[in-house]
Amino acid sequence: MRSIELVVITVVVLALALLIAVAYENIIPSTAVRKVAEFYLYAAYNPFDLREYTAMSPEAVTSIVWDFRGLDTLFETAVFFLALIAGMALARGLYRETPQFKSEGLSLIVKSVTKITAPVIIAVGVSIGLHGHLTPGGGFQGGSVIAVAPMIFIVIFSVYFVLERGVAPSKMLVLRSLGLAGIGLTSVVLFMIALLRGSFAYVFQNMIKPGASISMPAEISGALISGTLWFFNFFEMLAVAAGFSMAFIVVVLMRFGKGE
Amino acid sequence: MEFLNTYLLSIVLAALFANIAIALYGVFFKPHYIKKLIALTIFSDTANTFAIYLGYRRWTALGSPRVPVLVELEKDAIREFTARAVDPLPQALVLTAIVIGLAVVLFLVFLGYVLYGHYKTLDMREIKKLRG
Repeated sequence: MRSIELVVITVVVLALALLIAVAYENIIPSTAVRKVAEFYLYAAYNPFDLREYTAMSPEAVTSIVWDFRGLDTLFETAVFFLALIAGMALARGLYRETPQFKSEGLSLIVKSVTKITAPVIIAVGVSIGLHGHLTPGGGFQGGSVIAVAPMIFIVIFSVYFVLERGVAPSKMLVLRSLGLAGIGLTSVVLFMIALLRGSFAYVFQNMIKPGASISMPAEISGALISGTLWFFNFFEMLAVAAGFSMAFIVVVLMRFGKGE
Repeated sequence: MEFLNTYLLSIVLAALFANIAIALYGVFFKPHYIKKLIALTIFSDTANTFAIYLGYRRWTALGSPRVPVLVELEKDAIREFTARAVDPLPQALVLTAIVIGLAVVLFLVFLGYVLYGHYKTLDMREIKKLRG
């Protein structure tokens, strides 16, 4: 049985290698695909020629994620939200937020090093998140980096140490909801302003668009914030960091009662 | 040099396919739930790498491709940037896919926990035998 599996895997790999060798020219996408990339790259930061289409962000990836294809990202955030909500629903009633017993954790050396490195991890995460419109990074990556800090604390100290310091799942849920509400508000803020002023703007609008002359500030006192991109990154960072911290803590806290 | 570049890229591509094969093997034949989960993460990471790879091309005669981040905010720099930078679209899609993948894996971990609480085992052969 095992030998059959091995043969199947080997044949699959060899066949795919042959496919690559024969069809190498066709595996590479044709240059027609490049036109899309060229538009995105050209429009990412271009106040000179494309004032009505640019996202005013030097980082092409973030400008796609939160401006050109912002609606995609909104729905991906919804998937993220639903996956975590489903997990929390499964965990409901299986964990208690009050500390059950005192625990020692690892040795003093490890604890001291963790206490030094954890603030650095959080600072790096915030930096990645808030500079998402300038350098590689953004809300998703920054939030994921921040969520590492509570995980390290859970491993080195204990989950009850984290709970005693006030990082409880219920509070994380509130923080995450705040982040998601912020994303929702940021996406409609220009639309609301336009409604109040009697002009016209799109939902998810960032900079000036043809027919909608209202715009978010591209920079504040000389510092480039790229309009909505900075706010989206900030709130997404909040939502991702809080959501993952909550999930990690609950996974560790889950216990089945004696009756089961 | 041209041949060497092509050959190295082919190796990366072949390695990705081999990775997919190994991950699928793990998902289908490993009996333990957690090992299936690990194989699944390998599979999704391979798919993400593959998507990134599709964006990378030696498009231009201007030299090697560069990161899609504009460094100088000037008109000429933008033109050069447009000609040379790699396709940012796959990167943007992969960036969200990674976080969504992590959230889905966390959901599956929760599911595994409940599975263990119900059956007192995570061995899929045992669970298949129990039926209910």
